[in-house]
Amino acid sequence: MSKDYVQQAGMSKEVRVDGKRVAGKMRFNPPGSGGSRPKMAERDLEFIPELEGGNEAQPAGGHFQDSYRTGTTVGKRTPLVDANAKVTGQAWYGDDIRLPNELIGRIVRSPYHYAKVKSVDTSKAEELPGVIAVSTGVDAPSKFGVLPVTKDEHAMAVEKVRHVGDLVACVAAVDEETARQAVTLIEVEYDVLDAVHDPKKGLLDVDEPIHWRGPYHIGSTNVQKRVFQEFGDRESLENTTKAFHNGKWKFMGVNHGFTEPHAVVAHWDPNGRLQLYTPQQVPHYAHRALATVLEVPMHQINVIRTFVGGGFGGKSDPFPHEMCAAILARKAGRPVRITFDREEVFWVNRGRHPSHIEVKINANEDAKISGFEIDALIDGGGFASFGHVTSYYNGVLATAPYELGSFHYTGARVWTNKPASGAMRGHGAVNTRCAIEVGLDDIAEKLQVDPIDLRLANLLPPHSKTITGFRITSNGMRQALERVREGSNWTEKFRKLPLGKGIGIGCGFFISGSGLPIHWDPHNFPHATVHLQIDMDGGVTVHTGAADIGQGSSTAVAQVVAEVLALPLEMVHVRSHESDTSPVDLGSYSSRVTFMNANAAIGAALEIREKLLNAAGEMLDLEPKMLVLNDRRIYNKRDPTIGVSYLDALHKSQEDIGALIASGAYRTPPMGGIHKGAAAGLAPAYSFSAYVAEVEVDVDTGLIKCTNVWAAHDCGKALNPLAVEGQIIGSCHMGLGQVLSEQMVYGRTGHLQNPNFLEYKIPSVHEMPNVTPIIIESCDPEGPFGAKEAGEGPLLPILPAVVNAVYDAIGVRINDLPLTPDKVWAAISKKMKKLKIDDPRELPVPTLDYSELQEKLEERSDEHKLRDSRRQRMEDKGPYLNGVLFGLDPTLPPEEQDETWKISVKPDASQLENLGLAGTAWTKKEQRYMESGK
Amino acid sequence: MVGEDFVSMIPAAPSEIWYGEVNGQTKEVIAKSNSILLDVLRDKAGCLGVKRGCDMGTCGCCTVMIDGEPRLSCLTMAHDVSGCKITTVEGLSDGSHLAPIQQCFADYGGSQCGFCTPGFLVASQALLDKNPDPTEKEIACAIEGNLCRCTGYQQIIQSIQAAAAIHRGDTEAVASNNVAHSDPHPSGPEI
Repeated sequence: MSKDYVQQAGMSKEVRVDGKRVAGKMRFNPPGSGGSRPKMAERDLEFIPELEGGNEAQPAGGHFQDSYRTGTTVGKRTPLVDANAKVTGQAWYGDDIRLPNELIGRIVRSPYHYAKVKSVDTSKAEELPGVIAVSTGVDAPSKFGVLPVTKDEHAMAVEKVRHVGDLVACVAAVDEETARQAVTLIEVEYDVLDAVHDPKKGLLDVDEPIHWRGPYHIGSTNVQKRVFQEFGDRESLENTTKAFHNGKWKFMGVNHGFTEPHAVVAHWDPNGRLQLYTPQQVPHYAHRALATVLEVPMHQINVIRTFVGGGFGGKSDPFPHEMCAAILARKAGRPVRITFDREEVFWVNRGRHPSHIEVKINANEDAKISGFEIDALIDGGGFASFGHVTSYYNGVLATAPYELGSFHYTGARVWTNKPASGAMRGHGAVNTRCAIEVGLDDIAEKLQVDPIDLRLANLLPPHSKTITGFRITSNGMRQALERVREGSNWTEKFRKLPLGKGIGIGCGFFISGSGLPIHWDPHNFPHATVHLQIDMDGGVTVHTGAADIGQGSSTAVAQVVAEVLALPLEMVHVRSHESDTSPVDLGSYSSRVTFMNANAAIGAALEIREKLLNAAGEMLDLEPKMLVLNDRRIYNKRDPTIGVSYLDALHKSQEDIGALIASGAYRTPPMGGIHKGAAAGLAPAYSFSAYVAEVEVDVDTGLIKCTNVWAAHDCGKALNPLAVEGQIIGSCHMGLGQVLSEQMVYGRTGHLQNPNFLEYKIPSVHEMPNVTPIIIESCDPEGPFGAKEAGEGPLLPILPAVVNAVYDAIGVRINDLPLTPDKVWAAISKKMKKLKIDDPRELPVPTLDYSELQEKLEERSDEHKLRDSRRQRMEDKGPYLNGVLFGLDPTLPPEEQDETWKISVKPDASQLENLGLAGTAWTKKEQRYMESGK
Repeated sequence: MVGEDFVSMIPAAPSEIWYGEVNGQTKEVIAKSNSILLDVLRDKAGCLGVKRGCDMGTCGCCTVMIDGEPRLSCLTMAHDVSGCKITTVEGLSDGSHLAPIQQCFADYGGSQCGFCTPGFLVASQALLDKNPDPTEKEIACAIEGNLCRCTGYQQIIQSIQAAAAIHRGDTEAVASNNVAHSDPHPSGPEI
């Protein structure tokens, strides 16, 4: 192919006729003209899949979108499209919105854990010069909440305050000093109630539950949600136990610790529309909640998502302070800006639930995982937030990647008088995952086998179904385990390192987008919609509601559009900030954005591509299917010299059919079982990960230092390896914080003692290990170009990997996170006392003598490896469901072939006596089934 | 606390004219004599690139250079640095071109959500000004006061190393930095 397709202005033959420029006929400058790239780049075969004639390896087989790959950006290390704004300080975060004539808002917060608000007197504050508006709960009586089933929040306290820091009133004043003074002048009379801080006490009946759900209230307890799930053949399998693990865990609450405190600016424009600037992960739900609370239609509100200074789930609820700013601005007739102190961020919280988790695992004589039992009591704090979902996720996201003989889960989320817990990176799955992965390590020890081989021999294959009916598509778990084993030199180190040094393994499994949208109305509402428009000069504008919170969703969507249309990335502009111009996207949560939004964008881009090819085909008198796109040019795939420029085709198309616009949408396919709660944890794809962590433990002080992490994550296809690696390393950082140092400490009186970054210990650069990110590409059949999530799943394995490594180093298992030096030292001294030794340096370290099972496991995993490879590449398309390993027929539902196979979502009377801690929530009746309703 | 008369934590202070050389331009603004530098820069001098993350010197987002030294502007009284040369993130780039450190943060994934980035940029530029060939340990010590919640620091360190190579004019290192850090098409054992 000739290399010189010059695309510069003046080179096109129509511009000059007989050597003279034709006035008025000057064409639009071709794209790239005058810039650094006047010539068409050659097709980059390194980034065109091998099945399409390129050099890109496809170990997991092809993808139906492969033929649209142009080698432009997908798979290349791409800096974020908004990186330049960020490195020059020009990115505008919440507090950077400065409107003329602005007022500063401050919030009056409750000093009590739990109290009735008897009266709020704002008169003194209103008299203070400089105070323009004051608002209390009476201004906003409507309830809201992120989940439609659990709307339990008010903008400001209406009847009760439910935790220290709960909102009571708010003021807007000309400057911050006046606003702070006005806050102290608001007189609130409280009637203090008995507070509940211990989640175990939340299970008991009390006089005044924190919320009241009428006929659906469970007894008069503080249980917000209880879950029971039982699948499989539990009893008969338990009789064959060869090894048994029982782990009782305590996890402290952790906060997202994003660096940007919440901030909001509200302004009612002269047309009476609300313009609300907020760093939101999920602007659409905030939009809905604002409409409810302010009692104005959604089209009279424009939610402008500013740059988001870190979200991690902590900016995904609609927040009361957003309502406060809007109410104050409406009263004052001026813009109002509210920015939080770091302390206030902790009062809003929505971090990971403090949890009590008990895990029981049985393995049979073949080292198959026959029994799997989880009991999770999670502390929800004062409000429901995402808790309804979290209650399920604590159990159901543990049902893979292993094949289970039975699964039993009891979960309960209770309200307590603490700042609300909510969604945080790895939502609901992190704590249970840690408990079960450590459990498997223990089982491997008891069976005297290698824990990696134990896992490899029990994996669910690709294109299978979990015990609860989740549809697994691509699955790179096996490859992830093999890569970390190889990378970390595992066999040389495991159980062979000296005292104080250890190595451990952990795996992860996470959803890539929630199968059910939170708002399910109207019924077939798409999860993501993307609009594309192309300007006369060829620039592409992508309108999407997807919230870029730093993970690079705008970059991903620009990349897939650029890839399909074969345009340089700088010709694609993403507009995603305003709800006025963006189609609805459900937001950045559940690791859904890349999967769903990029799929929608590809759909829209394909529509444009078809129009361009039709126009080019007409110009060249060729069938569109004979044409290929490459860098700003469309040409005959057999003879590249026959072709037209992208711009010529574009103009032809615009002449023929008018403006070039297109829209794409993404909906999940129908899936899942029919039992109650079957939708929780459903996802169009799942990500898998395996980490090996290496630690050093100082046996004299209990200080743990994580030195190396080999982190393999199956993200389907790395659209942007730079961003995927960033997510993997960042996840390690956050998970490492939770396992080693981060905790929200509630004191004896239930008061949060460390709402600041001085005492809430986020790992600094010195605590970070050397992380080797390993990207596994399993090519998901439904993901955009094969991609799955990479934002949350990579967090899960780091916790158990570190805990297991600590055991390998000192021979002590600690089931209480974080592993602070005091806890580690206490565990070491306990062990020393038990062994009657005085010097911690004499502690014995665990060793491993392989049993005869080891060989069996290796054999089985070799067999399964072949099976998995065939299934992954779709050479074997037969059905597979959890239970085949235990002798079930994959073509029939298990309950039809095994009489004792249970599918139950409610405990029967005989089970009620043997339930775990969270399970005791089932001993209470709902009010509607009680004789006298309260 | 509730209903008591207001007692200002910081006694009311008279306003004064604060001046300084902010990013090469002399700024004169009227500010309370007890203002912290962060507020003066953000609210009066228009440097919104300086970020407020924690109010107490723990996160490093507000780092600025005062006479070439990286300092936390939230713990610095504006009055004390009156007349000093102050460089914020806005002052790092040279005219219309990004400084090497900025370019490298963009190219190597040193910035994700970007909120901590201004502080990191200033802290690392201050390091490179003094030490164009820092070791990994020296880089870590230079940014130990800055918290980043997104990147896990690894890509930040890579960005700083890459910028250092450009500062030194070390073309070999620049070229080797441009090589992908991991195989873009991991083949590994077959799935």
